Amino acid sequence: MSRWRYFFKRLLLSVPVLFLTMTFIFVLLRMGPVDPVAARLGPQATGAEAERMRERLGLNDPLWEQYLDFVTSFLTFDLGQSWVVFSGTDVTTIVAITGPPTLWLGFWAILLPLFIGIPLGFYAGLRPNSGGDYLASVSGILWQAMPNFWLCIMILAVLRQTHGGGWLGFDWYTFGPEIRSITGTPDLAFLSINSIETGLITVPLLTGVDWGALAVDIKLILPPALVLGSASMAAELRIGRTAILETINSNYVVTAKAKGLKDRVIIWKHVFRNAMIPLVPVITNEAFLLIGGSVIVESIFNINGLGNAFFQAMTQGDLPLAGALLFIFTLIIIFLNILQDLLYTLIDPRVGYDR
Amino acid sequence: MIDTETETTTSETDETLLRERLRDHPRPAMIWFAGVAVLVALEFGRLMSGVLQFGSMVSFVLGALASIPGWIGGNVGDATAPILGYVISDVLSLFMLFVVAVLLTRHVLPWSLAEAVDVGVSDRTLRSLERLAVTGVLAAVAVLLAFTPVGPILKTAVVTPFEMLSSIPTITSRELIPNQGYRTPDGSWEGTFLGLSPAVAWGIRTFLVYAYALAVIVWAWKGYTIFREHYRQADWTPRDDTVRRLRTHYWGLLGLVVVILFIVTALWAPAVSPSPAEQNIYSPYEYEIDYVGDDGELEAITVGRANLDSQSNGQQTIGPLSYDEYDRWAPLGTTPSGQNLLTHLAYGAQTSLMIGLLAIGLGGMIAVTLSLVTAYYKGLADTLTIIASDTIISIPAFLLVMMLSVIFNEGDHILAEPLDGAVLLGLIFAFVYWPGMWRAIRGPSLQVAEQEWVDAAKSYGQTPANTMRKHMAPYIAGYIMIYGSLLLGGVIIFTAALSFLGLGINAPTPEWGRLINDGQPYVSTSSWHVATIPGLMIVLVVTAFNALGDGLRDALDPEADTGGSDDTGAAAAGGGG
Repeated sequence: MSRWRYFFKRLLLSVPVLFLTMTFIFVLLRMGPVDPVAARLGPQATGAEAERMRERLGLNDPLWEQYLDFVTSFLTFDLGQSWVVFSGTDVTTIVAITGPPTLWLGFWAILLPLFIGIPLGFYAGLRPNSGGDYLASVSGILWQAMPNFWLCIMILAVLRQTHGGGWLGFDWYTFGPEIRSITGTPDLAFLSINSIETGLITVPLLTGVDWGALAVDIKLILPPALVLGSASMAAELRIGRTAILETINSNYVVTAKAKGLKDRVIIWKHVFRNAMIPLVPVITNEAFLLIGGSVIVESIFNINGLGNAFFQAMTQGDLPLAGALLFIFTLIIIFLNILQDLLYTLIDPRVGYDR
Repeated sequence: MIDTETETTTSETDETLLRERLRDHPRPAMIWFAGVAVLVALEFGRLMSGVLQFGSMVSFVLGALASIPGWIGGNVGDATAPILGYVISDVLSLFMLFVVAVLLTRHVLPWSLAEAVDVGVSDRTLRSLERLAVTGVLAAVAVLLAFTPVGPILKTAVVTPFEMLSSIPTITSRELIPNQGYRTPDGSWEGTFLGLSPAVAWGIRTFLVYAYALAVIVWAWKGYTIFREHYRQADWTPRDDTVRRLRTHYWGLLGLVVVILFIVTALWAPAVSPSPAEQNIYSPYEYEIDYVGDDGELEAITVGRANLDSQSNGQQTIGPLSYDEYDRWAPLGTTPSGQNLLTHLAYGAQTSLMIGLLAIGLGGMIAVTLSLVTAYYKGLADTLTIIASDTIISIPAFLLVMMLSVIFNEGDHILAEPLDGAVLLGLIFAFVYWPGMWRAIRGPSLQVAEQEWVDAAKSYGQTPANTMRKHMAPYIAGYIMIYGSLLLGGVIIFTAALSFLGLGINAPTPEWGRLINDGQPYVSTSSWHVATIPGLMIVLVVTAFNALGDGLRDALDPEADTGGSDDTGAAAAGGGG
């Protein structure tokens, strides 16, 4: 099978997956044990009012007609309206509001582990079985086993302790840019965008960056991002360590040594580059962890993001919003999977042969 | 039945059966069984109550299965005519009984009509007739049990002896070593074991629990060595090497020890907890405890009121290793509602363990079955499974678990009842995790399916089911153990995270995540222990399961590369929650 045929087969497979996901959400929402009318009007609702609602929501139509409606509206991104949490607001509007904070959180949650986990892993791999290696490995293992929600609480408690000058006079509130609360949504208004009217269309133009606001936003997002990235950080540490160990004992590194290359050249040119290969899927897989973890981290740190919206929707019985958000998350993951396959197809010539 | 019998007799003509070997040389086995008898006798009551619990679980599963036809029939009846619903539910019930009858005639019933009777009808027809007859008998029995008083009477007749036996005190029981008493004004203790302080009495009981568990493990290991020395015909099997490698894998052994401690705590939760859960958590206002008041008089107070006075809520704290005002021993302190933290932890371990085992057991079974079927048949079966598993994997696991649990809990589904949703959660995890496990063992099972011995089995005319079970499954079992152990940690974290968010397992069933949620506001006060200790326990147990998984992987498959996909699997176990 050629590489591109493999890729297109994967692409083709994502179509039934998409439909199955929609069917699954449909079955959960319409045929599951929760009655949509009762969820909206309260369990006591009976009689004419419930009947009217039933008619309005189209619940009296044949099931296949409901299903077709559901699928077509989802495919055209007409995701319906929220019932309870943001009563009467379109789901697409909610996503537009809650999306940016989550993206900001996710960006830092990917960036932090990259710059902490991989260097630590490489450090441990370059000095195997030393004290530093053991320290890094053991702390990585423990770090990985810590539940995110517990880490959140602990970090919050420690940071709150520093209020008004804590340990060694360190105060997180006034350290760097000053903030009043350590939880909350970053407002992300550090980019000032002006638009130019050119008659027919308006072109948005970046005119300046408010560095103070940016610093506040970064400071707000650092603790939750550190927690959210904790699992990936530990995974990157472990895999980075093994990757280094494997490359360092490979023949071409021995050859390079025999040629009399300097240690620094060997490490930078031969070891690091090849050790990065097994880390690529780990980094792309982080999306899974981030989406699941964002629910917890956002609800504890009180960030108005997608995860928090999903959590609110779940606890308040806002099933259409929850279903729509689940659909969006699934779309993102399917898209990322395709992207990963595409990257593999482009980068790694072995794909498709031994799978 | 017949197939396997002829097989064993032909293939093992030069070998003796284990039963015969035992008969020829009974002494070591007798000694070992005598030890087992002593161990069983020491904890007979607890064992019986375990049997009782298992029985109630089985009866719940049977009840849930029995309600399926009615449920499907009801749904169909709602959509069409009611009469059709009844017909469908009856037909489905009969079909389920027929499946049971097929299994019974094939595996359980000792005689077979098809052999006994020699008439002009073909074997096949006779067999079908036989199955139909058994179905009829089963239906009659089911109707008798469900609609006449025979059912309840039979149930009491079965349950009562077990209930009586389970009340026999054991060496670790609260009746034998009581630790709840009060301090008289002269400083001595009343009502505790030998007049010792509650702390010491509790310490003795807890020590006995772990000592007993250690004895059981040592004796089981002894049994294995006796078997290996005296009764196994082969001098060496590959399993010996696995055991040897695991014995020198200290990281894995450390994990194993902690996992065993966790399991023992869960199994002996009633003995480890300082005050009984029924009294302390479930119905505190129905029990009374005695204490000596300020004026030196003996007074009684309900546990519920006493709990109100021993809360750990920042204002006042009953910290680790301390007594509360009513002379109750709290080794790990109390919760913000005044209950005993260790009681919560021990019973919470039970909840976590049950969810984990249910999830990994059921999910692993689905994964193994599917991996065998897809590796054996390939083609369409493989493609369909890929699509199904890709779909489930594409939906973010934590959100899916959350949504399913909320929907079933909101809808008051029958599955949400037992243990305040623990069983439901286990089922949901099984549903969400099987695709991951299936993917993890797909490679090995495809490899096994290519082996020559599988071809040989096929050409000898083995049925596909037998080929898969005997010649393929044993090679996959190791892999599923590795991933099961790694995923169990993930299940524990997810369960705790869900109940932390107030979903999943509802009060009053104890759960570690809910403890952390309860203690969350007090982390930076004097009541720091409420959220900190359960969190540390989770870290410890999850690390232990990960370590055990690592150890098993190295022991079962020393040549597997330690990087790459295996580690990402481990990462999934830790992340998310």
